[in-house]
Amino acid sequence: MMLCYKAWRESRTRFLVSALTLAGFCCAFVLYHHDARTGIGDQSASYAGYIWHITYKSYLRDLFVLLALLLGAGGLLRERSYRTSAFTLALPQTRWRLVSVRAAVGMAELGMLSLLPALVIVSLSPLIHESYPLMQALKFSVLWTICGTFIFMIGFLSSVIFDGEYTASLVGFFALLLYSAVVDLPAVERYVGDIHDIMSGAGMPYFRQDAFVLAGPLPWSTLANILLVSLVMAAFAGVITRRQDF
Amino acid sequence: MSYPFVIETQQLTKAYGKVQAVNALNLRVAANQITCFLGRNGAGKSTTIKMLLGMTHPTSGTGTVLGRTIQDAQQSRDLRRHVAYVAEDKQLYAYMTVEEMVRFTRSFYADWRPEVEQRLLKQYELSPRRRVKALSKGMRTKLALLLALSRRPELLILDEPSEGLDPVAIEELLQTLVAAAAEGTTIFFSSHQIAEVERIADHVCMINHGRLVMDLPLDRLRQDYRRITLSFAAEPPPTAEVQAEGIEQVRTNGRQITMMASRDADAVVERLQRLRPISVEVEPVGLREAFLEKVKEEA
Repeated sequence: MMLCYKAWRESRTRFLVSALTLAGFCCAFVLYHHDARTGIGDQSASYAGYIWHITYKSYLRDLFVLLALLLGAGGLLRERSYRTSAFTLALPQTRWRLVSVRAAVGMAELGMLSLLPALVIVSLSPLIHESYPLMQALKFSVLWTICGTFIFMIGFLSSVIFDGEYTASLVGFFALLLYSAVVDLPAVERYVGDIHDIMSGAGMPYFRQDAFVLAGPLPWSTLANILLVSLVMAAFAGVITRRQDF
Repeated sequence: MSYPFVIETQQLTKAYGKVQAVNALNLRVAANQITCFLGRNGAGKSTTIKMLLGMTHPTSGTGTVLGRTIQDAQQSRDLRRHVAYVAEDKQLYAYMTVEEMVRFTRSFYADWRPEVEQRLLKQYELSPRRRVKALSKGMRTKLALLLALSRRPELLILDEPSEGLDPVAIEELLQTLVAAAAEGTTIFFSSHQIAEVERIADHVCMINHGRLVMDLPLDRLRQDYRRITLSFAAEPPPTAEVQAEGIEQVRTNGRQITMMASRDADAVVERLQRLRPISVEVEPVGLREAFLEKVKEEA
């Protein structure tokens, strides 16, 4: 339990800043929707369409992706630069446990971040005499949690390989760019879905473009595969950590 | 559980590329003693300790601590339940307070002694609400010692414990270690500070360039080690005529030959009389001198 507490304390600032940033943007997008719609040249779409465009498809989603990467930072390599890794490694815990607890806490934080847009948008929309369906928002939260886990794991894996305060996050960012470029290749896109599109539903069979809503069941098999790949990355991070010298 | 040695390594080696940080180390540390792991900076002390605690993987060789194999992850975790460790720079989680640090550490050990924790908090004048990052190095060392000694560890390993401490803090530290040893904790500490080693150690293991170059009780060093200086009227005989078992570091300087006898100095002197020196001086050897001689010899 105290390892969870340690992982939470180490990521707390990043998590709270991320939460405040996401919540702040959601508030702004809802409360200043007129200005925002003018700004992005989106006057014709419905409120649901506007929310989807600005939140789930573009700005907020991209911000969430970056924050998920940042949440993956930390760990024993970072501790080594702060010279606390000797204390941590002297605890009667295996490295597997240290890695898995950090991964679990990060995923829990990510889940909470994914819920934020749903809570803020649904609760603030009545203030501007609009409404956004809670179920829709929660479905997007599920997509964001699972796809965010994949992105978090890129940052997480990077943090067990690369030393330095910002190196791991930067490498994770470039790895994500590379992934995005590769999955956009015609030869690849037929077989591998783009995580960003899965998050927003754009062009996906479970999304109705005319009404900007998620229709029907979520793509559970795709999500399960994403989760599986994420867990494999976490296990790989464990294997790497187990072999490292501190 | 009883073990002949709390720490035992066989040919323990750690190489970083072509550099052998620890080279075929055969180390044995007996229970219920204060053993000093003496060596220069970069001699391989910290690397050895890190291998013993599973922080660094040996390139080759094996080792056990409290009867558990250091290369086995589960056994390594198990041995760390019984070993307390104070790292060289004593860095703890800067974002926690003293109280949080104690609570965090306590949760991992079933043998935690709250009464010792409270006593040491008072004795070391550690304010529970103070943040770790606001502590001086001396206070951080005290907190690290508190975290180690509030348990009932079978073995306490300290890496350069006095590094960066003022003389008063060093004195308190040495007294703490002696008190812990009196309570039955085996202490293994690395140092390059001869004075503190001579103050508290029962046994010295000296390491140089990753190799064990001396392993003996400090009392034996004091009793048996002698520097012998032979002066000759003319050119001294070749050093080969002086060499024998128990004689180390033979050097010729003008008309003098100096050497260090590691045992039975009287018999050595008697034997050397046949070389017809004009004078023979026999002096006791301190740890500082033995250390410097060993380091010079290896260089």
